[in-house]
Amino acid sequence: MRNGKSAVRDSFLWGLGLLLMLAALYMVFAYVPTEKNTGIVQRIFYFHVPLAWVSFLAFFITFIFSILYLGKRAVKWDALAHASAEVGVIFTTLVLITGPIWAKPVWGIWWTWDARLTTSLVLWLIYLAYLLVRGLTAEPERGARFSAVIGIVGFIDVPIVFLTVNLWRTQHPTTIVFEGGLTAPMLATLLVCVTAFTVLYALLTWQSARLKTLEAEFRRLTMMQTEKEE
Amino acid sequence: MENLGYLLAAYTGIWAVVFGYILAMQRRQRRLERQLARLQEQLDRAGKTA
Amino acid sequence: MLGQVITILWKDIQTELRTKEVITSVLVFALLVLVIFVFAFGIGESPVNEVTPGILWAALTFGGILGGNRIFAVEKENSRLEGLMLCPVDRAVIYWGKLAGNFVFMLFVAAVVTPVFLALFNLPLFLPALPPVILLAVAGFAAAGTLFAAVAINTRARDIMLPLLFLPVAVPVIVAAVEATGLVLAGRPWGEMLIWLQIMAAFDIIYLVASTLVFEFVIEE
Repeated sequence: MRNGKSAVRDSFLWGLGLLLMLAALYMVFAYVPTEKNTGIVQRIFYFHVPLAWVSFLAFFITFIFSILYLGKRAVKWDALAHASAEVGVIFTTLVLITGPIWAKPVWGIWWTWDARLTTSLVLWLIYLAYLLVRGLTAEPERGARFSAVIGIVGFIDVPIVFLTVNLWRTQHPTTIVFEGGLTAPMLATLLVCVTAFTVLYALLTWQSARLKTLEAEFRRLTMMQTEKEE
Repeated sequence: MENLGYLLAAYTGIWAVVFGYILAMQRRQRRLERQLARLQEQLDRAGKTA
Repeated sequence: MLGQVITILWKDIQTELRTKEVITSVLVFALLVLVIFVFAFGIGESPVNEVTPGILWAALTFGGILGGNRIFAVEKENSRLEGLMLCPVDRAVIYWGKLAGNFVFMLFVAAVVTPVFLALFNLPLFLPALPPVILLAVAGFAAAGTLFAAVAINTRARDIMLPLLFLPVAVPVIVAAVEATGLVLAGRPWGEMLIWLQIMAAFDIIYLVASTLVFEFVIEE
């Protein structure tokens, strides 16, 4: 099932991912200078923002593979959609955790209903429901079909949510603004972090999808086995 | 170095969660391999008696 | 095809009119939500403020969810959905038929609850700017709600699954409805709430189209 060549390729890819992550950590902690206004806590930003972007990418991938699954019905598409949504939810959870950890020392509050954080929260809830639908449907095939539908209609909501929350925020402005100018070193660090997290996402999703495909295949074989015994 | 605690909390949190997910996947992988081995045994036995 | 939609709609209306169970319980529930939120926010005699429109929409949203759980309940309990599927109707027709029923139902609830809400807060009962807001919002609730109800009824946790699916997705509609209602209650000119109406209209169209396209995948087999 896993021959020597693919194991070598796996190790290589994971090694590459690890290297990228180490490079990112170096840039965040050693290379980029401390931000003047908010101090060293601001360094959370270099992981917080990439996590947000990559989770958005993850949900987009889920959207694509959900469509593919409804069209082709191959287990691998569903496994990829599912895995991508799982990693997306994990990364979004981290966004929602690191956001407050950053906000508390800087602005003295745990939470702010700023447009991006709020959109992340709604996104988190939408895709938690995606995962719950799967878990709470008795038949796996049905669960896959339902989540594919949720994966599609949930994603098309994202731009609407973002626009609406943005507009809502301009009507009731807060004093908290996450934005700031980005110097060249800051931008470089951010880009390296985005790359590192994108690769990490890809590795985790690919691994998880492969596992899910095997598990589905195993279930299929077990069912065939029990049918033969009857 | 104020607020160092927050910075460390954020980064350890991220790594804890990511590694947690990887470990969970490894555990599922091992369980699947065990189940596959059992299934293979059953098939072999059925093959022998057939 | 329109005839088929109307047939489904009419059948559901007749079924409901026979017992009136669902409509009464949802109406009572929505009114309860109004009252409880007044206590929850400790408003009492305070003048209309930012929280007020939210109370109306909390009542309509939660009432809508309660009603939404019933959309496919009868079909599910009697396994009538399979029968319906055997008819050579386009799956989308079933969606639109159920959607129409849900829409009419929620509109009726809104028509009763809104005047009560206005009276409770001593607001003028004649607010011509309010109906478009309610129509667009309820259309959005119905569009997404009908699709999610079809999914939810087939899961193990039927009643809780619908709000879990529906509420996060419906956030734009709820925000827009509350904002627009707030502007209406404050007597602001129509122009200011236009953007919120546009958001709801966009949501409605997008979700009507998307749901029409994917509904068949939900009620397969």
